[in-house]
Amino acid sequence: MPELSTVHHPLYQLRRTPFHARTSQLCLPHNWRRWGGCLAAGSYDLGLDREYWAIRNHAALIDISPLIKYEITGRDAARLLHRLTPRDIHRMQVGQVYYTGWCDDDGKLLDDGTVTRIGEQSFRLTAAEPQYRWLALNAVGMQVQVTELTEQLAALSLQGPKSRAILNLACEQPVDSLKYFRMAFNRIAGKPVSVSRTGYTGDLGYEIWMDATDALVIWDALMAAGHDYGITPTGILAMDMARVEAGLFMLDVDYTSASHAWIPGQRSSPYEMGLGWTVNLDKQGYFVGRRALEREHREGSSWKLVGLEIDWEGLEREYAAVGMPPQVPASAVRGSIPVYAGPRQVGYASTSTWSPVLKKYIALVHLQQPYFTPGTKVEIEVTVEHHRRKSPATVVTLPFYDPEWKKK
Amino acid sequence: MTNAEILIVGAGHNGLVTAAYLAQAGKKVLVLEQRATAGGQLAGATLASGATVPGLHPAGQLRPVIVKELDLARHGLTMSAADAAYVSALPDGGSLRLVSSANDVATIEAIRRLSPRDAGCWPEFVGFMNRAAAFLDAAYSTTMPRLPKIELRWDGLPLASLALKLRRMGGKDMFRVMRSLSMSAVEFTEEWFESEPINAAIAGVAIHGVTLGSMSAGTGFTLIHNWLNRGGLAHRTTTGGPQGLTDALVKAVLTNGGEIRTGAGVAQILVEHQRVLGVRLESGEELKASTVVSSADPRRTLLGLVGAPELPPEFVWQTQSIRMRGSVAKLFVQTDGRHRLPEGTVAIAPTLKYLERAYDSTKYGEMSQDPYLEVTTSGADVMVHVQFATYALRNADWGSMRPELEKRAIDTLALHFPAFKGSVQSVQSITPVDLEQTWGLTEGDLNHGQLILDQIFFMRPLPGWSNHRTPIDGLYLCGSGLHGGGGISGTPGRNAARALLRG
Repeated sequence: MPELSTVHHPLYQLRRTPFHARTSQLCLPHNWRRWGGCLAAGSYDLGLDREYWAIRNHAALIDISPLIKYEITGRDAARLLHRLTPRDIHRMQVGQVYYTGWCDDDGKLLDDGTVTRIGEQSFRLTAAEPQYRWLALNAVGMQVQVTELTEQLAALSLQGPKSRAILNLACEQPVDSLKYFRMAFNRIAGKPVSVSRTGYTGDLGYEIWMDATDALVIWDALMAAGHDYGITPTGILAMDMARVEAGLFMLDVDYTSASHAWIPGQRSSPYEMGLGWTVNLDKQGYFVGRRALEREHREGSSWKLVGLEIDWEGLEREYAAVGMPPQVPASAVRGSIPVYAGPRQVGYASTSTWSPVLKKYIALVHLQQPYFTPGTKVEIEVTVEHHRRKSPATVVTLPFYDPEWKKK
Repeated sequence: MTNAEILIVGAGHNGLVTAAYLAQAGKKVLVLEQRATAGGQLAGATLASGATVPGLHPAGQLRPVIVKELDLARHGLTMSAADAAYVSALPDGGSLRLVSSANDVATIEAIRRLSPRDAGCWPEFVGFMNRAAAFLDAAYSTTMPRLPKIELRWDGLPLASLALKLRRMGGKDMFRVMRSLSMSAVEFTEEWFESEPINAAIAGVAIHGVTLGSMSAGTGFTLIHNWLNRGGLAHRTTTGGPQGLTDALVKAVLTNGGEIRTGAGVAQILVEHQRVLGVRLESGEELKASTVVSSADPRRTLLGLVGAPELPPEFVWQTQSIRMRGSVAKLFVQTDGRHRLPEGTVAIAPTLKYLERAYDSTKYGEMSQDPYLEVTTSGADVMVHVQFATYALRNADWGSMRPELEKRAIDTLALHFPAFKGSVQSVQSITPVDLEQTWGLTEGDLNHGQLILDQIFFMRPLPGWSNHRTPIDGLYLCGSGLHGGGGISGTPGRNAARALLRG
């Protein structure tokens, strides 16, 4: 028998988030996933329906503590982020949140996340993967401190049309005036929190950031406040369906970080990922990848991430040919599926899902120029009873689902 | 205000060589020098302490091709034809006098007294070293490919011609040169000679100016490098000494219509969107130019004058990773003239182990207890090159170590030449920190980056950037930190001008 301490050595263990005492009690199917070296609940139920509909109809409570988080402070804090990202950080107001990717000097994405201006000289950066080396490298010659807060800072995402009502009950200050992509300080159960109106679902939603030691108290307070609104602890699998509907992509699923790409072709630029709106070529000064992005902007991108709606009648036809009703996946599928224009493959889907709210089979697809133009008719591969068939589909702009209450 | 098209940062010999070539090609150049006089390491200085010292090197030569192309003879530069003597102090108190010529009778006779076998090897050794140096010379004047992105169209022809030169050396020599580069001075010399004093004398030249010991890999290369720059073991003098060399270069710049401004230190190289705009002087004056060529070391140019925030992050990391690590100090001793030191280049390099032990101290952040010295005299003035005096002292600093440096160097020299100590009248010393503060040499590295195997050829100054360019359009590098550099030869300056003129 090995010593218990050997088995529990940190090298062999996934870390537990500050909410583990609650989530582990609730995660009855033991459907755990790995997220940033942490145990993350895939779902708290055997199916995803209840959690998915909580996001779309009432309120879902999601533990997002595994996100990598940095605090960036000092005289040159804004300057560092201005250099790191293609967005104009100097124009950011205190309390504002930017979503952005960041690139290597070839203008290819390394990671993406949010930048929050906490104060004049203080920012918070979230990332999918550790970025300390990259931040330190970009900070050479600057007066700035970069501190990783991943483990000290716990985070919950409260998503859904009822999230505002719940927060108004739970928080010391009402959140009614908190605008989309803004952050404000508040208190829950007497504990200090920062609340940002952000999320990964494309619905009305908030993310609540707190000291890890206050995590359980705040979880309990939110669950109590949300009881009458149907607050539902939700795993990352239902969120995965919602984020496709919202047209949001994921590192390592929908794109490969330039720092991990085996071959140049695996890399993606912000333009190719539909993030052209985050690239501010008019901003002052050097930023990483500027030259390459200027060139791509001038010459046009050869690929683009767009939405694809699979034509239902076409899908029905393929299944009817073998005497079956159409089959759709029960959760988001993270796998590459070829997309064709006539006999030629012109791209691929990286995540596809059935959208319960839209009643549509949808996919995030990477298409070559000129097929990424909205309205273009293409075909996507479907496997019908072990046979590869093609089903007609239409290119659409993202997001697929954009409820009016998201930004209101 | 200036109407110069090209600004050159630093009036050291490489900056002046680049300026002279560009001026000769009809470009309007302006050389900006921080100090009051041109000449860089060859020019004297006033230290932070207020002491004035002469230039750092007793001698220096430019490659003959530069002397010819810039017509420096017309400006007063002539090379001494006389064979210079290299005198190594022996452990028993005697000395070994070597002239780096294949058939110098006195030299062969001096070696014969130590080993008849070695005396027979000497002519062959000198011949080999000259051929190896000629190969290195050819390599240094060939622009290295930008590995890993080799462009055959640009790099292919010069490389092929270099390969041909190497091939023409004959199979045996070619193989021997390639092998020698990575060998240690101990391994290399012991293949040639059996007598320790000869090997140690040669190994002294191999470690001269670099932070490496006689047993370090790559000192075979540094031996050939120093042999090339000196034209043998000993320093060879030019008319007017190092100052004559600077004067000739200054004249070459001026007569071709170039300008030189001294007392005009560059505080910042101005950059916008990775394109050079000009420079800002320490006085605050801004000079606009579409091209700036810096002869300052790469780290100082890029991280100091341009600034990391203007450069791509991976490039910043590479620039930070250039190993500088100076470990040379200098002493200028005024004597009453009765120092009894021999003429020529005198080395305190008695055994191979002595040299390695002297180097060992740098690993521990200490100054050598028994340093390797190289001494030259000019009448009553004695100049002492001291190794190893590491820039990065542990548990001490150069402010307080200066007296100890002077004491150890003088005691070591007096051990071999007892009359020297009594003749000393005054001492001025230059520590690695002085080299950094007064001459602007990062970490006191005379070579603008260590001459080690991963920092030479296409990896100098940085892998992928061996073409004198930088990520900043219009900013070029021409200093000793470039391929061909380290020591005084003018090769990087010439290569930079050629790269710039080629466009």
